[in-house]
Amino acid sequence: MADYYDELFKLCGFEDEEIEEERTRIEKAFERLGIGPEDMETADSWVRQNHDVTLKGVRKLLGAWLKELIDLVLARDDGKKIVYFGFPAILGPGLMLSASSDDVFVCAPDMVLDHTMGQIFNKLTPILEAGEANGLPSGHALCSLWQAKIGGVALGMIPVPDLALASSYYCDMGSKADDLVTAQFGVPMAYIDGVMDSSWGEYPDYLPERVHYLGAQIDQALKKAEKVLDIEIVPDAWEKSQKDSRAFVNNLLRLLDLMRADPVPVSVAELELLEALSGSSTGRGIREGVKAMEILIPELEERVKAGTGAVEKGAPRVITWVGHCADPRVTRLVEDVGLAVPLTLTLAWVGGPPFKPKRTYATPGEKIADYELATGIFHGTDGVIKRFEMGAKVMKLDGFIMNYLYNCRPDALLSHNTKKYLEEKTGLPVLALEIDAFDSRAYSAASLRTKVETFAHMLKAKKKSAKE
Amino acid sequence: MLVAGVDVGAATAKAVILGDSGILGYSIRPTGHNAKLAANKVTQEALEKAGLSISIDDLDYVVSTGYARGSIDLANKTFTEIICHAKGAHFVIPSTRFIIDMGGQDSKAIEVDPEGNVTNFIMNDKCAAGTGRFIEVMAQVLEVESVAEMGPLALQSKKPCCISSTCTVFAETEVVVLRAEGKDRKDLIAGVHRAVASRVAAMASSLTIRPDAVFTGGVAKNIGVRRFLEEKIGMELRVPEEPQIIGALGAALFAREGFKGDN
Repeated sequence: MADYYDELFKLCGFEDEEIEEERTRIEKAFERLGIGPEDMETADSWVRQNHDVTLKGVRKLLGAWLKELIDLVLARDDGKKIVYFGFPAILGPGLMLSASSDDVFVCAPDMVLDHTMGQIFNKLTPILEAGEANGLPSGHALCSLWQAKIGGVALGMIPVPDLALASSYYCDMGSKADDLVTAQFGVPMAYIDGVMDSSWGEYPDYLPERVHYLGAQIDQALKKAEKVLDIEIVPDAWEKSQKDSRAFVNNLLRLLDLMRADPVPVSVAELELLEALSGSSTGRGIREGVKAMEILIPELEERVKAGTGAVEKGAPRVITWVGHCADPRVTRLVEDVGLAVPLTLTLAWVGGPPFKPKRTYATPGEKIADYELATGIFHGTDGVIKRFEMGAKVMKLDGFIMNYLYNCRPDALLSHNTKKYLEEKTGLPVLALEIDAFDSRAYSAASLRTKVETFAHMLKAKKKSAKE
Repeated sequence: MLVAGVDVGAATAKAVILGDSGILGYSIRPTGHNAKLAANKVTQEALEKAGLSISIDDLDYVVSTGYARGSIDLANKTFTEIICHAKGAHFVIPSTRFIIDMGGQDSKAIEVDPEGNVTNFIMNDKCAAGTGRFIEVMAQVLEVESVAEMGPLALQSKKPCCISSTCTVFAETEVVVLRAEGKDRKDLIAGVHRAVASRVAAMASSLTIRPDAVFTGGVAKNIGVRRFLEEKIGMELRVPEEPQIIGALGAALFAREGFKGDN
């Protein structure tokens, strides 16, 4: 029998029989999340405003996130052993744990809440406020992503995990926020020491001793996970996890190849749904994401063939640094002023020029470390600049938008350094744009518009004068 | 040809009327609570000051700028205030290569090429401490009758106080405490001006500041801020005759181009 949420789930790509199958779980999850009939109108208009729901693939993607949300909320009820990791993370350990046992549920819960309670229900703020009330107070430049995690647990929306995988590999605030999970909820922690800052100019090379060190850290974290979760990591877990994620990456590559077209066939806000899914889910979200891409790819191929897209043909092309996780309006704003965004840097990880792990390492931890360091993204500004430079060539870019979070230590520093060096190296303009990818309370749309519109004007004028 | 540029900012609305012979008239008024109304009124006033007894509907082309640019019904086209300030400053001072624009509620630094095109910019919009509003608040706290008196008073100080706070609200507290400690009012006023200038200079220094550097926006009329800014950036700032209308003038110049392009 149909219920108040059926239309929203259909909008998010659910088939009738899927809704029937999930009905009990949906209702149980909604009860815990505090979602009711009064939220449907907002969610419907919010989804339509921010996503291209004319594309079935996009709707299925939103559905993949909803399924991940339901699995997260009900993981304890499902009898799973629960592991949380941070974002951006060293994904390998989580993937290996997931590949080793069907009884383990591993995800980045904050990202799941951002993409569902934020992007679908526009109801993230109470969760952030709960995070603020539980150890991550407002006004202290603390990251809203971590507030979402702490808030979600504190409100009882998401379960207290059995283990937290914590690392300062990219963000040192993340591991400190995970301390709170231990302090407040008694959750054991497996730390991966991430002292990985590489020397300027080192990338694309990376020192073997750092692979050994990071690898050893990952190996000891995995051992602790085995002990805490009472599971055994299967010998071929790395290969198995790679196999499971290969279909996802391959489809994403096909999509990114389509984004080379002029005009770009779809808003990068939709691809961000995929980018984030690949960095947040190790379970059903990934499998559903693969299916969604199989629908989205032919839809976009049609658009490319027809010469239609998210912005006008000939629009200046820019790469942005981070996708907007909780609220895609900033990404939409960039496109509204006539800029094409074929890529975010995180997508350049898979869709930019290939990176080359050495593949000569033996332990599971070292294999993961080798892969991570080869990407060049998270361990040094120089690596980031080089990936951007490479992305510019691949995607024929006209400029860069370094959108950064004021409260993100690595991002805020990196954005200004990157602006300086990228402008010098490529001769292309860089806009350093302060946003908050995880909290739409923290920015003013009016001032963002002025900056982005001015930047678009600059790029269009430059393009026009180059033609003349 | 009769065109207008309308700059509706958070604090004031400005309009410039351009004819074939150049600037015919301009007007400045508080924006108030209704941006559309302010745009219409300021444009009508500018027409009257130009000695033209026509209505705004008779204008050939209108370009709007400023925060409320998108909601101005009479506009044929919109441009951001950053682009318009560059256009306007380059028109009045063709050697302009760098602009510091300080308005009521934000401040901007803009690099421009020899043609007046924006090549780089930075904008402060999260904090009132680098804006005209900061000086207005401090004028009230220090009981200076008119904001226009603040700049000259600041220059009379020989020992500006150090206002360490970077927030308007907390700086107010700081100034009250310093007054209670018996600090000279002129030194406090100078300290306020130096604090504003320091904040804006720090922002501008992330770009390449080169001559001719031009100071626009309402705060450019304040001699105290100008002097402290010059000291901080180590360069003379040129100030147009009426710096507050430079954005509206740029918009009017775009309107002229738009009219010619459309005809």
